[in-house]
Amino acid sequence: MSWLDRQSFLGNDSDETLAALTVGIVGLGGGGSHVAQQLAHVGVGNFVLLDPDIITDTNLNRLVGATFSDIQAGTYKVDIAQRVIVGVNPNAKIEKRISLWQDAAELLKECDVIIGGVDKIRAKHELDAFSRRFMIPYIDMGMDVTDTGGNNYLISGQVILTGPGEPCLQCLGIVNEGLLKEEAQTYGDAGSKPQVVWPNGLLASTAVGLFMQLVTPWAGRPRTSAFLEYDGNRNSIVEAAALSFFKTRQCSHYMIRDVGDPRFDMRKLLAKEQDVQTPNQKLPQSWWNRFIRWCSSQRD
Amino acid sequence: MKVSLKIMRGLLEHVRQDLKRPHSFAYERVGFLIASAAGTPRGILLTICDYQPVDDEDYERNESVGAEIGSDAMRKAVQAAYRPQRTLLHVHTHGGLGRPEFSSVDLISAEEFVPGFFYPVPKMPHGLLVLSDDDASGLYWQQPEQKPETISDFIIVGGPYTRNWRT
Repeated sequence: MSWLDRQSFLGNDSDETLAALTVGIVGLGGGGSHVAQQLAHVGVGNFVLLDPDIITDTNLNRLVGATFSDIQAGTYKVDIAQRVIVGVNPNAKIEKRISLWQDAAELLKECDVIIGGVDKIRAKHELDAFSRRFMIPYIDMGMDVTDTGGNNYLISGQVILTGPGEPCLQCLGIVNEGLLKEEAQTYGDAGSKPQVVWPNGLLASTAVGLFMQLVTPWAGRPRTSAFLEYDGNRNSIVEAAALSFFKTRQCSHYMIRDVGDPRFDMRKLLAKEQDVQTPNQKLPQSWWNRFIRWCSSQRD
Repeated sequence: MKVSLKIMRGLLEHVRQDLKRPHSFAYERVGFLIASAAGTPRGILLTICDYQPVDDEDYERNESVGAEIGSDAMRKAVQAAYRPQRTLLHVHTHGGLGRPEFSSVDLISAEEFVPGFFYPVPKMPHGLLVLSDDDASGLYWQQPEQKPETISDFIIVGGPYTRNWRT
């Protein structure tokens, strides 16, 4: 009997499938911390955790796994997520970086799915583009609290599943020039956005549900794109109309051929590998060696 | 070095269908997958972005093999991978279920033609792939003079997302 026995309806080999997968979680705050916890519970075996921040007292209202003593100790958010994951599944393998995701993007290239819990529109846009370049399905979560006047607030949010060939965040209106410009202009004085735990949890659960449907479908052929809108005042999650508009249209922002690294050169990769393996046998950088290398590069 | 190969599910289904089409005299069809590449912490990621079938008229009569293709087919494949430089993977199918194996004819002929891809496209690794109806096996050459190595991971992107090409 396995600890995942109660989810055997996900498929005979779902335990092995999930254990072999690597999920990148970018942003381990209110949304990302829930995602990390749930993916550990379902048996995902490998994680890439990226977040540059330390937990602060204003995170404690929603960051799953965080304790009051973490605030006193100044614990990094990735370390809290690691503690939660390993607490559930000691066999989980975790690669973590206390950095912006752009500085650890190499680690994300090998991920099977990336889940983003980032606030900034620019970050969402860049993660979407990065995921497409390496043909990685991307799940984006976002939440907002809007002041509607008269001491009334609207809690809203969305979860988007996208990937190569599917409508992108620009197609779906999450990213556009106006929003990027507005964000750039208010950079530094936007203050802290209101965030609360229950919409974070709900959106994270929805994201995990989309992930599970993608990798261990339990009913028919799974969807490869989704745009689910959350209305926290009505307590509803509905499919956004914007997605159906793209059922008969192609994404015009990213071409399917624009994948991989255009600068990739196998010869350079092999030379680099050889340098690492035999550092003491490296040839001196004489003018002759440099000249030979220059001649070789001109032939490409 | 770990080499992972990614393909969209829709494209893979199209390739399988295309390779199953009968030819007027060849016993089987072949084609070329065109891929971009990127370095990863543990090796290389090949992302397949296109498929080029071999045109009917580019097959040559040879009773001793399943399919023999002429120089025009090779020229067209290289042309498709020339600018920007892309990886070329010769592909054919053995049908059936389970992990397919290359025949000795596959391996001998690949030793002859795959190194030839490096002259016009030296930046990229090249190789060959054999499909079954639910799986695949692949070899790639890092450099023309080296022995081929096995493609370690096959990933189908789509619904469902599958690693190791197990469908």
